[in-house]
Amino acid sequence: MAKKIKGPQLIIANRLDDGRVVFMTPDGNWTADVARAAVADTPEGVEELEAKASISEKNNLVVDPQAVPAEDQNGAFPAHMKQAMQAKGPSVRPDLGYQVSHTWETNASEGN
Amino acid sequence: MYAYDTFDRNIIDARVAEFRDQVERRMKGELTEEEFRPLRLMNGLYLQLHAYMLRVAVPYGTMSSKQMHRLADIATKYDKGYGHFTTRQNIQYNWPKLVETPDILTELAEVEMHAHQTSGNCIRNTTTDQFAGATRDEVEDPRPYAELIRQWSTFHPEFSFLPRKFKIAITGAGQDRAAVKWHDIGLILRKNDAGETGFEVIVGGGMGRTPVIGKTIREFLPEADLLSYLEAILRVYNEQGRRDNKYKARIKILVEALGAEEYARLTEAEWQKIKDQHIDVPAEEVARIKAFFTPPPLPVLSDDVPAVDEFANQNFIFKTWLDNNTNPHKVLGHVNVTISLKPHDGIPGDATDEQMHLVADLAEKYSQSEIRVSHEQNLILPHVAKQDLVEIWKILDANGLGSANVGLLTDMIVCPGMDYCALANARSIPIGQAIADRFDDIRRLQDIGPLKLKISGCINSCGHHHAGHIGILGVDRRGEENYQISLGGSGAEDATKAALLGPGFDEHGIVDAVEKVVAVYLGEREEGEEFLATYRRIGAAPFKEAVYDAD
Repeated sequence: MAKKIKGPQLIIANRLDDGRVVFMTPDGNWTADVARAAVADTPEGVEELEAKASISEKNNLVVDPQAVPAEDQNGAFPAHMKQAMQAKGPSVRPDLGYQVSHTWETNASEGN
Repeated sequence: MYAYDTFDRNIIDARVAEFRDQVERRMKGELTEEEFRPLRLMNGLYLQLHAYMLRVAVPYGTMSSKQMHRLADIATKYDKGYGHFTTRQNIQYNWPKLVETPDILTELAEVEMHAHQTSGNCIRNTTTDQFAGATRDEVEDPRPYAELIRQWSTFHPEFSFLPRKFKIAITGAGQDRAAVKWHDIGLILRKNDAGETGFEVIVGGGMGRTPVIGKTIREFLPEADLLSYLEAILRVYNEQGRRDNKYKARIKILVEALGAEEYARLTEAEWQKIKDQHIDVPAEEVARIKAFFTPPPLPVLSDDVPAVDEFANQNFIFKTWLDNNTNPHKVLGHVNVTISLKPHDGIPGDATDEQMHLVADLAEKYSQSEIRVSHEQNLILPHVAKQDLVEIWKILDANGLGSANVGLLTDMIVCPGMDYCALANARSIPIGQAIADRFDDIRRLQDIGPLKLKISGCINSCGHHHAGHIGILGVDRRGEENYQISLGGSGAEDATKAALLGPGFDEHGIVDAVEKVVAVYLGEREEGEEFLATYRRIGAAPFKEAVYDAD
């Protein structure tokens, strides 16, 4: 996941078992609620989150975790369009996705 | 309709069991994602923007009502109550769980369906005319040949890891409804002067970032030689196609690089080596497969049905539906009914589980339990008696499926775009919906006449924008969605590549741009002239002037 870090970042991934979008929390767990995502402001902080995500990946909890730019929208939120879409769910089906409920499935497995 | 034999059933069941084991091993960590990814893709399972996406094959777009009921049940049980019919005549589920996918495949196998050849660098699900075997303008039913190709290509060991995905389309009709010239291989059924059946063979078509219209490399290939000739084409591609750059790996790049004549020469040379190696199945086997596609025994009825005409005279919407959504059938007194999956405020190609059940019920009652999927993302009831049309329309209309817009501007192909797709750079569906809002009046649409509008959310062109009379391409411009407009494309027998008109627009501007393009057409058209003909006659300049006029 090594890449140039610019600005605050959060970690986004898909859960392995059901593929749903999840975000890493400060304690290294995973949540479907983007507002609970950990945000790192420094390259060192991002590296720390990435290290935890890497362990989750190796433990087969998530797929393809990556650090993405974050911004504050009354809580953490992805800054870029595609990840913002992932955090919300399809814009054309407001009856689906995270805009309906952040806990529409069981929260991601604990552990890292 | 083709029915599995013991071999078909065993191989599909074995593959489901194999994938179940692979999923279990992935969950236990015995397979890494890198190792697992090609395995899941071989079973039609992608990891998309929000979740996994399972793409299920509907071979050559033909299915039974029983199969449609099963697709609906899967949408209910394993997904969020809907499915999305695609330009590859497949259905996609957007929310399946990895751990439940083997169960979904098991349920599909029970009704002789699978997800093979819907992903990966293999020969994909062969597509064809949605009216195959039922339309009046047909030389011969192309589906037995598509089935033959399916059996030959499924798990073909030599062609399971091609340089890139490989798409074959086949048509048997004078009017090309399968966009054959936009495929890696396009096949057109022909009769020669002796009345024998054969194929015009076209290679090297494709959309994506390098749109190319395929070239004919053989005017007439006898039907008995189909598989060995295809094998020769594929072998040349497999050997010489680029593997160092995925954007240059499709056969269209190789054909362009070598030239069509050279590609034909190489194919013929290869074919001479292999044509007597019994790759082609014996005539008895072709006859066995053809027997599954014997037309249903429909009674010959009168094409004049006064009750239907009378209802049409009283109901403009029904009359419009009759004009746009029905296609002449081979047997007098019958039609093929296209059910538009482009309702107002809908998502092009989406059908709910309830709608799928409804279509299956209608098929059982009115269309010999048969259903088709078109590459334009609609469903078809073939073999419908004209006398049943009023009743069918009333049922469809009451269930949100009565749109009379087939072939008109709002009958758009729209890719899932960034609402669902991990590759997309812009959303497509909201643009389609905004345009549909602007052109909501069916009388206005009818006045505009046949017009194919196609929208893609990225350069991969799943929305076929290169073949749109009006094509729209969504791009990411410095983090903002931007939409380019192109004009003059065609996916039909007169296949042409749409030409970019000029700079792109934001999501509001693109709707205005479409409106201006249509206005130019309406102002310039001659009596009875359709949009594409007007564009070809007057060229891009008047459209460009109107769209980019500072006022």
